[in-house]
Amino acid sequence: MTETPDAWPAIQRDTKSAPFFDAAARDELVIKRCTGCGQALPPEALVCTTCAGTALDWIPAEGSGTLLTWTTVHRAPNRAYTDLVPYTVGIVELSEGPWLYARVDTARPSPDLPLRAEFVHPGDGESYPVFTAAE
Amino acid sequence: MSDQLEQPPAAIAGLGLTDVGKVYDRSATDLAAEAVRLAANDAGLAVSDLDGLLVSPGTQGAPKLSLQKVLGLRDLRLLAEINALGASPGVMIAHAAATIAMGGASAVACVFADTPLKPKGSGRDAFGTPRSGPRGFAGYHAGIGLVSPNLFYALAARRHFATYGTTSEQLGAIAVAQRAWAADNPAAQFREPISLAQHQESPLIADPLHLYDICLVSNGAAAVIVTSAERARDLAQPPVDILGWAQAHPGRVQHDDSDFGLRTGAADAGPRALRMAGVRVEDVDLLQLYDCYTYTVMVTLEDYGFCPKGEGGKFVAEGHLAPGGDLPCNTGGGQLSAFYLTGFTPLVEAVVQGRGQAGARQVDQRDVIMVSGNGGILEHHATLILSGAGR
Ligand SMILES: [Zn+2]
Repeated sequence: MTETPDAWPAIQRDTKSAPFFDAAARDELVIKRCTGCGQALPPEALVCTTCAGTALDWIPAEGSGTLLTWTTVHRAPNRAYTDLVPYTVGIVELSEGPWLYARVDTARPSPDLPLRAEFVHPGDGESYPVFTAAE
Repeated sequence: MSDQLEQPPAAIAGLGLTDVGKVYDRSATDLAAEAVRLAANDAGLAVSDLDGLLVSPGTQGAPKLSLQKVLGLRDLRLLAEINALGASPGVMIAHAAATIAMGGASAVACVFADTPLKPKGSGRDAFGTPRSGPRGFAGYHAGIGLVSPNLFYALAARRHFATYGTTSEQLGAIAVAQRAWAADNPAAQFREPISLAQHQESPLIADPLHLYDICLVSNGAAAVIVTSAERARDLAQPPVDILGWAQAHPGRVQHDDSDFGLRTGAADAGPRALRMAGVRVEDVDLLQLYDCYTYTVMVTLEDYGFCPKGEGGKFVAEGHLAPGGDLPCNTGGGQLSAFYLTGFTPLVEAVVQGRGQAGARQVDQRDVIMVSGNGGILEHHATLILSGAGR
């Protein structure tokens, strides 16, 4: 799959994102869940968009989902991406319900395409999921 | 009980627009001051007659509250920075109109300026993100290449395409119609007509968005003066009455019940603004819609109720919006063809048309003008209902 992870801008963690990247380093995906109402939320959530609660915990996700929407980027948004276009990013609707912005590595993106997370481990920067078509 | 106002509380009495486009030698604050002076002069007022100033900062953080000092204004009764991104003009005008209606001020300037363009920089670098980006999840977005508003709007448009069968050719009809309008706007940056084939052949930026689906980037400033409707009738210009307004800030939901890309705050704000004005969507003569992307125009038309949800693509392809159509829209060329001063682009054209000063592109009917503002990634919406009937 994803050929040259080191061509991509290196990702640096902060305190709030550390559990996500620690899980990715183990080839695992984690998301958030509101302890108040049970709403499953994306990893970057800091507040629940259902009940406005701030008590969120991390839970494991299956690493599967479907392709909600995507774009293939043909013109580099800035010079950092000149050698990376064309590339595809999308919103993956995870099996648990939350949406995750992610790179999508599939020749034929289509609505509701079943996807699975794989993980890239760049030499420089954090590991992260890239989604490919599920078998 | 009706929300309808018995008489308009306020009107737009002055308009100021600086040089717009590749204006490199001026600060945003300097441009904003010029726009306010132009607007006051246009209204037949002295700058010292202003007792209110609402300032909308651009992407570079200026102008600020200090614009008061730059303009030499004393004893203001209303002064604030207001930022709802592209929805700012609607928010400012509503605040100015309500304050005037309650007797809190009598002549309020609302101004926006921005200078994102730099010499030698191309438009697409202006709002870009440098490689050494932020940490954490913002860094994750940079690390996967999700760094430009173009990409987020492409994701929104693609979902609409996938759900309702909307096509790029349909969006292209908006770009073609607006370029046709721009031909008669001397202030427009691009006035050469384009064909649907040229839209389709223009480079794919982030599919499904082609180059001609995406707004310009401009430096410049615009301002309007809001007074009571009564006072506006004694000033220098035909008044453009402010009949109604509403905002909607839906909040971003990122899980399975989100309507991202399918429905926007326009669906909430539009009907409320029409109700305040005491008019129906069928009464709207003229539209000035925020058009950061062709897609935004199409989804706003659906959300306002000009066509059923999901049929926006079909509707725009029928030619309603173009010169000669029954629902003129973005008659100066809009952000796609004229200039990009965020929410002031549709507002400026609404005022020019409302006064009957649009020259060769002037439309006949201008009693009900619906104006939209959109901020962030479809996160902030403001609607204004204006009227040129008081001329
Ligand atoms: Zn909750």
